[in-house]
Amino acid sequence: MPALLVEDLVKVYRGRRKEVVAVDGVSFRLEPGEVVGLLGANGAGKTTTIKVICGLILPTAGRVEVFGIASHRRQALRHVAAVLEGSRNVYWRLSVEENLAFFAGLQGIPPRKARKRIRELIALLGLEEKRRTTANLLSQGMKQKLALACALVKGTELLLLDEPTLGLDVETSHELRGLIRELAREGRHTVLLSSHDMGVVEDTCERVVILAQGKVVTDDRIDRLLGLFRTRAYRIVLSGHLPPGAAAVLRSRFPLLKLHTGDHETTLEVELAPGYDFYELLDHLREAGAAIEEISRAEPDLEEVFLKIVKGEK
Amino acid sequence: MSRLWAFWAIVRRQLIELKRYPFNTISGLATLYIIFLLIFLGAKFIGTAGTRFFGESLEGLVVGFMVWTFAIAAYSDLSWALIREAQLGTLEQLYMCPFGFRFVSLAWIAGSFLTSLLFVSVLLALMMATTGKVLHLNLGSLLPLLLLTLASVYGVGFATGGLALVFKRIQAFFQILQFVFVGLVALPANTWWAKALPLSLGTKLIARVMIDGIRLRDLPASELLVLLANGAFYFLLGFLALWGCERIARQRGLLGHY
Repeated sequence: MPALLVEDLVKVYRGRRKEVVAVDGVSFRLEPGEVVGLLGANGAGKTTTIKVICGLILPTAGRVEVFGIASHRRQALRHVAAVLEGSRNVYWRLSVEENLAFFAGLQGIPPRKARKRIRELIALLGLEEKRRTTANLLSQGMKQKLALACALVKGTELLLLDEPTLGLDVETSHELRGLIRELAREGRHTVLLSSHDMGVVEDTCERVVILAQGKVVTDDRIDRLLGLFRTRAYRIVLSGHLPPGAAAVLRSRFPLLKLHTGDHETTLEVELAPGYDFYELLDHLREAGAAIEEISRAEPDLEEVFLKIVKGEK
Repeated sequence: MSRLWAFWAIVRRQLIELKRYPFNTISGLATLYIIFLLIFLGAKFIGTAGTRFFGESLEGLVVGFMVWTFAIAAYSDLSWALIREAQLGTLEQLYMCPFGFRFVSLAWIAGSFLTSLLFVSVLLALMMATTGKVLHLNLGSLLPLLLLTLASVYGVGFATGGLALVFKRIQAFFQILQFVFVGLVALPANTWWAKALPLSLGTKLIARVMIDGIRLRDLPASELLVLLANGAFYFLLGFLALWGCERIARQRGLLGHY
C-alpha cells in the first residue's frame, strides 16, 4: 500500500465570473520511507495539492489516499502531519514545551507518552535551552524548528512540509536540511517537501514531482534528471588572447562557442553536441598556439533542470 | 480515551492563554464591571423603572447582567478564536485534529464555559458587593440551568463561528448580536414565542433560583422541558450551520485565509 496516492486530482475554484483550475489531473504516489520534492512555480498547484492531502481542501475530482484512507476522511489525519507556511503554525504565547504538549494532546497522545516524545524532540532539534521560552521570543529559525517539532510530535508516518526553510538564513537552512535528511535516514517517515529552495530539495529528496500550470510535467529521480540535462559543456580559460583567425575558425567549427576576452585572458564556453570531439577542440587550440590555464566541466543543478523542464526544453 | 487527551489539551491551552494575557483578562472584567456600575447608578437615579430593563428588581438587574455576560462569551468566544487562529496560521493545524473540527469546537466551548464561570464568579461577587444584594448560589440548581440556557447561545456561537470561517470579517455582526442579547435577556418569557427564543426563558428560571431561592426540582417541569427543547434546537441548528460553513470553507479553500 502506498503511503500517499494522488490520482487524477482536479481542483477548480469557482468564482462569480470565472473558474480557476488550480490542479488539473495530478497523479503521483509515495512509497513508505520515500522523501519526495514537490516543485513548481507560484500558482503551479503545489499548496492546493498539499492541502487536499491534509483534508483542508475538498477536491473537485480524483482520488487522494493516505495509507489507503481517503484524505477528506478524518481517519486519514491519524497518519499525516504538516508544516504549512513556515513558522505560522505555532502558538506564540505558549512555550516550546506547551506548544508540543498541545499538539501531542490534539492528536490524542496520552500525556506520559507525549512527555517522552517531547523530551526526545527538544534534544533532536537543539531546543533544550528554550524549552520554557514562549514562541514569540524565539528567532525565526527556532520558530521554524518548533513548527517542525509540532508536526513530528504527532508521530504520524506521513509528513508534509510546505516551504520549511522559508525566510531562514543559510546556516539555519542547512541545519534544517540535516534534520530532514536524518528523518529520511531513519526511514520511519515518508516526506513530501515543497520548496522554492532547490538546494533544500536537491539535498534532501530522492525524487521530484514537478508541477506546471496544475499538471505534473515530471516525476523522476533527481540523479536521473540531472543526468538527463547533463551536457558536455566546458569552460576553458586561456592565458592571453587568441589570434583573430583562430577565433573565426573555432566559431565556424563550434557554432555554440562563446568567447569572452579579458585583459589578460580569454574564456571559452562551449557545449559540445553529440558527435563533437573534445580532443578536436584541443587540437584547434594547440594549432592556434593557445596556452590553456584551466579546463572545467559545467554540471547542471536542480534549479537549471527545473527551469528547463518548466520551459518545456525536454 | 484519546479524545479525552485532545479535549484536555484544548481546555488547558485556553487556561494557559488566560494566564498569559493578564491585562486582557483584567481589563475585560473591569470594562464589564464599569458597564454594570453605569447601569446600576443610572437605575438608582431614575428609580425602579431602570431596573425593570433587566428584570423586576435590583436583583433582576444582577441576574440579567450575569446571564448577558455569559451569553456574550458563549456566542463570541468561538468566533473570535477562529478569526484569531486563522490570523496566527494555526486554524489549519486545529482542523487537522483526527477527531474532527466539530469536536475541537465542542471542546473549545467547554473550555470557554469554564473560563467564563471563573470570570463571571468574580463579576458576580463585585455586583453583589456593589448592590448589597446577596443572591442564592445553589450550584446544583444553577449550573444545569446555566448550561441549558446557554446551549441556545452556543448554537448561535457555532453558527457565527461557521460564518467567521467563510466570511472572516464578521465583527459588525457581533456588535448587533450584543444588543439582540440584551433584548432577549430583558424579554419577559410569558408568551410561547418569547419562550421559543434563546435566553429569555432560561434567564427567568435562573432568576427564580437566584432571587427566590427555588431549587431546580421545584421549578415547573413543563418549563424545564421547554428550556431543554429550546437549548437542544438552537444548539443542533448552530452545529449544522457550522458543518455547512465548514464544508463551504473546505470547498473554496478558505481555512487558511484571514
